[in-house]
Amino acid sequence: MEHKAFMYDMIRTELEDIVGIENVSIREADKITYGVDYFWIPRMWADRGEKPPFADYIVWPDTAEQISKIIKIANYYKIPVHTWGGGSGSQGGALPMAGGILLDTKRMNRLIEIDEESHTITAETGMIFQQLEWYANERGYSCMHIPSCLTCGTIGGALAHRGIGIMSTKYGKIDDQCISMEVVLPNGEIINTLPVPKHAAGPDLNQIFIGSEGTLGIMTKATFKLFQLPESRQFRAFLFPDITSGLAAGRDILQKVKPSILRLFDEAETTSIIKNVLGFEQKGCFMNLAVEGIKKIVDIEMEIICDICAKYDANDLGSEYGEKWYRNRVTFFYPGNIMDIPQMFGTMDTVATYKNVEKIYWAMKHAVEDNFPGVRYIAHCSHWYEWGTMIYDRFIMDHPPEDPEEAIRLHNQIWNAGVRAAIKNGGVINDHHGIGLKLSRLMKEQYGPAMQVMEGLKRSLDPNGIMNPYKLGL
Amino acid sequence: MFSEIAKKHADACRYCWMCRHLCPIGLKTGKEVNTPRAKGLLVAMNERGFGMDESMAEVMYECLLCDSCTNDCVTGFEPPIFIREARTEAVVNDLVPSYVQKVIDRIVETGNMFGLPAEEKWAALKDEVATLPDKAEVLLYVGNTAAYKTPEVAKAVISLFKHAGVSFTVLKNELSSGIELGDLIGFVEDVRIMAKACAAAINEVGAKTVVVLDTYDATCFKHEYPIWGCEIKADVATTTTFIAELIRDGRLAFKKKEAVVTYHDGARLARNLDEHEPARELIAETGATLKEMFLNRRLAKCCGNELVSQYRPDLTLLTAEGRWTDAKRTGAKMLITACPQAYNVLKKTVSTDMELKDLFVLLNDCIK
Repeated sequence: MEHKAFMYDMIRTELEDIVGIENVSIREADKITYGVDYFWIPRMWADRGEKPPFADYIVWPDTAEQISKIIKIANYYKIPVHTWGGGSGSQGGALPMAGGILLDTKRMNRLIEIDEESHTITAETGMIFQQLEWYANERGYSCMHIPSCLTCGTIGGALAHRGIGIMSTKYGKIDDQCISMEVVLPNGEIINTLPVPKHAAGPDLNQIFIGSEGTLGIMTKATFKLFQLPESRQFRAFLFPDITSGLAAGRDILQKVKPSILRLFDEAETTSIIKNVLGFEQKGCFMNLAVEGIKKIVDIEMEIICDICAKYDANDLGSEYGEKWYRNRVTFFYPGNIMDIPQMFGTMDTVATYKNVEKIYWAMKHAVEDNFPGVRYIAHCSHWYEWGTMIYDRFIMDHPPEDPEEAIRLHNQIWNAGVRAAIKNGGVINDHHGIGLKLSRLMKEQYGPAMQVMEGLKRSLDPNGIMNPYKLGL
Repeated sequence: MFSEIAKKHADACRYCWMCRHLCPIGLKTGKEVNTPRAKGLLVAMNERGFGMDESMAEVMYECLLCDSCTNDCVTGFEPPIFIREARTEAVVNDLVPSYVQKVIDRIVETGNMFGLPAEEKWAALKDEVATLPDKAEVLLYVGNTAAYKTPEVAKAVISLFKHAGVSFTVLKNELSSGIELGDLIGFVEDVRIMAKACAAAINEVGAKTVVVLDTYDATCFKHEYPIWGCEIKADVATTTTFIAELIRDGRLAFKKKEAVVTYHDGARLARNLDEHEPARELIAETGATLKEMFLNRRLAKCCGNELVSQYRPDLTLLTAEGRWTDAKRTGAKMLITACPQAYNVLKKTVSTDMELKDLFVLLNDCIK
């Protein structure tokens, strides 16, 4: 581009004018760091000495007003804005694929209010979620959003990809837990959603921005439910003869009581990851669960659960393995325990009704294992509803192709096969990791004509198409 | 050239986000490079042909080496291993930021990070030190920060020793332990030479116990000296454990004062030396009510240190502010520290509605 250096410095100066010189970077070290998130492809690139995608400018705003000004500049020059929270997303949602501005929200990490009367907590969205949880814990509460990435991602990141925590079966997903929020729109306007999410004043604006992955605006403040720490939390583990009986038991449990944790592992995961981390060495499908709240109620709920599991010939393993799983719930994700480069891997989580879920499990397993030699498939179901459950299914290839381009093509083919098997059988493209760059191409297949609703929103709110290009199929 | 162990740790950390919520610098700057995973990634990229440039070298000095990340890692990886080696790489490749190089030059020239003349080390303590014998059962190793910057802390400790009737002395020519230089250029031969000289001077006194006031020096004596072949022929004790022992032996007694206080566990004491309770015992002796910060003991957030304050005072102002915020949320009226470096760093951003007090000064104020 003619006069590139001139304009490059001009825009840099304007950004510095908003956030201060120390909060704009064009350093190589920053560009590398923001070019690699938790998505497999940039990790593979970096491992093979390939240059990751670079932003032109990295900015660290401190307020919603600063974000507003940055977005107005981006609109004027028509340059992309990629929002970055923790960068721990697995879908490439934060990667600066189109260059331009990478806007890191983590300086905006203030606790704004704890309302002990209404049981709500409000904070800026750049806060690492663990910090929010600690603020709640200091007062004897919990947000009960406890994902494995609790310490890795921000509040904004959890909202942006409709995250979920291990307690979701009782306490809900992030979209159930969010009460209200402040958003900077793509034109720079700062708006607030309504003070409460339950009303008859039209569609819930929260749900337009939750899951929008930075394509429709930047969420800057959010209010969440607070829960009192439970008086009693009881664990139990069971071993089911097969996935069919485990799914049936899970369904019956959810249609009668509400555990906080319920995780059913298929045989492949029971004999691999569960064996490695918990030392449990039996064939079958391992289930661990927790029930919590007021002790008298918990005792009754656990009795009902044990009766249901017995009906499906489950072996009652007592509380030990359930407690052990809980203690080790994040141990699974540390280096040495989690899948890592040079392996190729991915989590193809989907969600479906009970009527379809087992059909989807087998369809995805066959789609992956039958078509791609050397690829393993493991799965568990970890977030349950009255109407269905999700499948957290992963593929793992120990020896992927050496050539990066060949590896990426194979990676995308496996994803296409697995996700299309889910969609074809009544599942959805993703349960709680989001779409990002990884699944963007499949959004139109998932939504069909309904995609025009999201495309219309995008055109209306972001006519210059500057907000996180190439993500979410928008 | 990174060692195999550094490469292994960097490769493990580069794609792991699990401890990022604990970095006291990252929590304040919000910058992704202020995470262990970013530093691991940069080291790994360096090993894969990207090479180190000035910006990567700068990033490696944006770390307190407080080990909060190491403490969190359930599979045993230690980011400070590759961060220290990256600093050595920066030195070897002439990429050390100029503001860091100034501090390195000061240490080489004067033996301390402040660049103050060695002969002035006892200037503020001359009355306390003048009458001390050349040899004694106990050697008090004061360290650079307490001697040059917080002499009130050293005075309080000396007063407590005198009240307890401890037979003690200090080194009239107290040499640096080497940890200041080691933290800036990595654990290389120049640092070992400095450490050997220090160990020889300490051994010459022939003391049975070396009581170390600065927790950074104590960590170095206890953990690094044995590896570096610099044996100290005496028991090495922290000042907190030593004074707690004096109290247990009935050699010190205190007037009780009513106060609501909170205590900052210094990073070295709490994590590297795994020492938490002696300071709390000492606080209890004063009659104060202790209200713990949410992140305490091994989980305590580092407030910054004097070394980083010398080359990036802006960063330590942020980290100190972060710890003050934690302290204020307890509702206590006084924040207590037990390390001269923590005290001096926190002093620079002293809270208007909360008092900062060194533990030994507090004890000395309460002595019967």
